[in-house]
Amino acid sequence: MTAPAFEEFLSLSVDLTAFEETDLLGTGLAHQYLAKVRDACGEEVVTALLDAYRAARAEATGDDGRPDPRRLDRALRHRVFSDERLGPVARNVIKLWYAGTWYGLPPEWTDCYGARPAAETSTVTAASYQEGLLWRAIAANPPGAKAPGYGSWAQPPRIDPRYRKGQGHDGTG
Amino acid sequence: MYVKFPEGATKRTNPEAAADVVYDAVIVGGGIAGAIIASRLGAAGKSVLILEAGPAEDLTLKGYEGYLDRFYSATSKDNQSPYPVNPNAPMPRGTDARRISPGTPDSSAYLVQSGPFATDTTYTRVLGGTTMHWEAKTPRMLPEDFRTRSLYGVGADWPLTYEDLSPYYNEAEHEIGVSADVEDQSYLGVEFDEGYVFPMKGLPLSYLDRMVAEDVDGMPVELDGVRRELRVRPYPQARNGIPNPGYVPRGAVSTYQVEVGGRCQGNNNCVPLCPVQAKYHAGKTLSLALQSPDVHLVGQAVAYRVHVDEHTRRVTEIEYRRYDKPDSTHFTTERARGRLFVLAANAVENPRLMLASGLPGSNGLVGRNFMDHAYLLAWALLPEVAGTFRGTNCTGGITDLRGGGFRGRQAAFSVDIHNDGWGWARGAPMTDLADLVDAGGRYGESLRQGLVDRVSRQLQLAFMVEVPANPSNRVTVDPAYTDHLGNMRPILTYDLPDYTMRGVAYARQLSKRIFARLGAEDHTRYDPDFWGYAVYGGEGYEIRGGNHLAGTHMMGSDPKTSVVDANQRSWEHSNLYLVGGGSMPTVSTSNVTLTIAALCLRSAAAILAQLDAESAPIRLTSTDTAQARPQEVVL
Ligand SMILES: Cc1cc2nc3c(=O)[nH]c(=O)nc-3n(C[C@H](O)[C@H](O)[C@H](O)COP(=O)(O)OP(=O)(O)OC[C@H]3O[C@@H](n4cnc5c(N)ncnc54)[C@H](O)[C@@H]3O)c2cc1C
Ligand code: SF4
Repeated sequence: MTAPAFEEFLSLSVDLTAFEETDLLGTGLAHQYLAKVRDACGEEVVTALLDAYRAARAEATGDDGRPDPRRLDRALRHRVFSDERLGPVARNVIKLWYAGTWYGLPPEWTDCYGARPAAETSTVTAASYQEGLLWRAIAANPPGAKAPGYGSWAQPPRIDPRYRKGQGHDGTG
Repeated sequence: MYVKFPEGATKRTNPEAAADVVYDAVIVGGGIAGAIIASRLGAAGKSVLILEAGPAEDLTLKGYEGYLDRFYSATSKDNQSPYPVNPNAPMPRGTDARRISPGTPDSSAYLVQSGPFATDTTYTRVLGGTTMHWEAKTPRMLPEDFRTRSLYGVGADWPLTYEDLSPYYNEAEHEIGVSADVEDQSYLGVEFDEGYVFPMKGLPLSYLDRMVAEDVDGMPVELDGVRRELRVRPYPQARNGIPNPGYVPRGAVSTYQVEVGGRCQGNNNCVPLCPVQAKYHAGKTLSLALQSPDVHLVGQAVAYRVHVDEHTRRVTEIEYRRYDKPDSTHFTTERARGRLFVLAANAVENPRLMLASGLPGSNGLVGRNFMDHAYLLAWALLPEVAGTFRGTNCTGGITDLRGGGFRGRQAAFSVDIHNDGWGWARGAPMTDLADLVDAGGRYGESLRQGLVDRVSRQLQLAFMVEVPANPSNRVTVDPAYTDHLGNMRPILTYDLPDYTMRGVAYARQLSKRIFARLGAEDHTRYDPDFWGYAVYGGEGYEIRGGNHLAGTHMMGSDPKTSVVDANQRSWEHSNLYLVGGGSMPTVSTSNVTLTIAALCLRSAAAILAQLDAESAPIRLTSTDTAQARPQEVVL
């Protein structure tokens, strides 16, 4: 696995999950997740996904050298999420980070791009369930692990107010 | 008190050698019912042999962690996911349930279901039994629950009253370590002895419960002309909280209590497995029982047949099949002999074993009157973020409709507020994640907002509706259906009476009122393709099983209309006790296990009295060799 690919995968993951790079690295699973995507979809697909991501960022980056969130959102929708081959893979990467589970790709995908044994629904390791970002997003613990302590449930949840806004569909927001 | 599971206890008894021993008591099943009786008999110096169908592993840390790892790694985290598949002692799984087409039994899983109503009810056949994965809510039954026939013309009366059982409830609450406060639990006639305190203080209500209480407390409900006000009330729980003076909680049995076994830490994983053993499981009582060198345990021992003397009708021995390994079909046939026999294999396995032994009882009641609770779920989104998915599975609920004159017409229920959101109804939060990402196109910040919005506002109410005894709801066997070891499998015939369905329909109406009072968006939709879909009064409902098995060897005061007496002793076989939920004439609206524990404590006293009163049927001498501390037969 080449280092630049890992860096790009991490940067893609930050944009897809809205968790910081340190959070993602803190799970200890980033390398295994990239390997999982490779095993499940093949090297070529991973390269294409990272290429598309790089292009999307380039397209959204203004003179200040930083991507504009609205433009990045559009570029990702156009280049990645709506792409027949890359869209389902990107959505799977999101779910992998959030749930710790690699979900089987839809049959229309495997029909076109081939099914690999590793592509079926599976957990990556026992730890990946515990490290799912979903639990952090809702300020809860993964049931069965990382217990928050006696009586903690009586307190209000510690959810950052910016995530309590609710209905907004404003992309990267 | 801290008791470690005695190392090697599951291996120290040699089944062949044990066959030559006449034990004071042979107990089938190492769940809570069997463990409680074994512990009391062992403490009184009696010799006991426990036959346990599950793998013969000590309840060590390694074993426990194996369960946990299996759970973490399972892609489907159903309530049996920590437990390995064992074709020699199979168990039902919640995911087995299928819609049953009339006339065609569903035999695809261990529990054969002939319907018409399908259920996903389960139990666990491992050492420690189903309490390894129970939720551990422990309400007492109401005084009126013991007299529903006389009071409401429904179900059957018990040969016992609440007052009779009350001292055993006290003892059971201390045995299993219940956290609750007397002030909260004294309602609808439930009374406690002067000065009684639960072993541990009640667990605090969750933030979600308190949010619900803000609007629900004081909500008026009129039923049968009687007005009452609802309130959110904490449930008593068999999990470690803050001890009251004088009580020392029992922690983990599998390891030294350094980091586990302390207080409940809010893992929200009580079903299927508490990672820190804050939750009671029968291994805690078994560990105590096995401190006595006279209490023996043989695992991988599946009781196959109860043998009865033709003339005296007394049980002479239990024939069992001992498999070598969970994954091989090789077994040896062994026998267990005793002065008394106790079947504690649960309300499905007890009658299964009796019927497979050709012992349906002269009144044919063994296996009949199967009961469980019928669960109706209703789910909504609260107007504000409640931080759902925190705390134990359930800390509070609404229990005001557990009793009252309306029970003449419709079933009573208690209501759980689920801290785990729509998990049970709709697989939340994973289903929400998949939906937001796949169908909602969400990612990044908008995904995080969407998750908080969709998941942290979830409220799920679970109505636990009573099912009265009905002889046609029953467990049977048929040689056409056997498992790997040649044991006949249980066949369940089950339907829900209109009485229960009236309670279900009322529950749904009440849920709508509660949601309206909370300003919550009702998202409840019942899917006609759901395996437990039931139509009543033109409306369809999804009904789920309650795992609260009862009724199949009902107790009574008349041998013609019951299987066991108030001590759970078989009317027909004077040295046989059938213990557990099967003895209960009503399930009413309490989760059954505390009552099972109380009944078994009461039976233990009766068994000791019988052992002392009866002269041994066989001439015995005693030796003091390690294996033969129980009396050896002189042939
Ligand atoms: C998901 C779930 C949640 C629950 N939550 C609650 C709750 O909150 N509150 C509550 O009160 N109850 C609850 N229950 C029910 C509770 O678990 C049972 O009532 C209780 O465990 C019954 O105890 P028992 O000892 O009678 O039977 P079990 O616990 O079923 O034990 C029977 C034992 O017998 C063994 N056995 C079976 N067949 C044989 C055989 N042929 N030979 C030898 N051994 C055999 C089994 O392996 C097992 O060890 C729940 C159950 C489930 C499944
Ligand atoms: S909430 Fe957690 S720590 Fe508490 S009993 Fe349940 S699983 Fe155990």
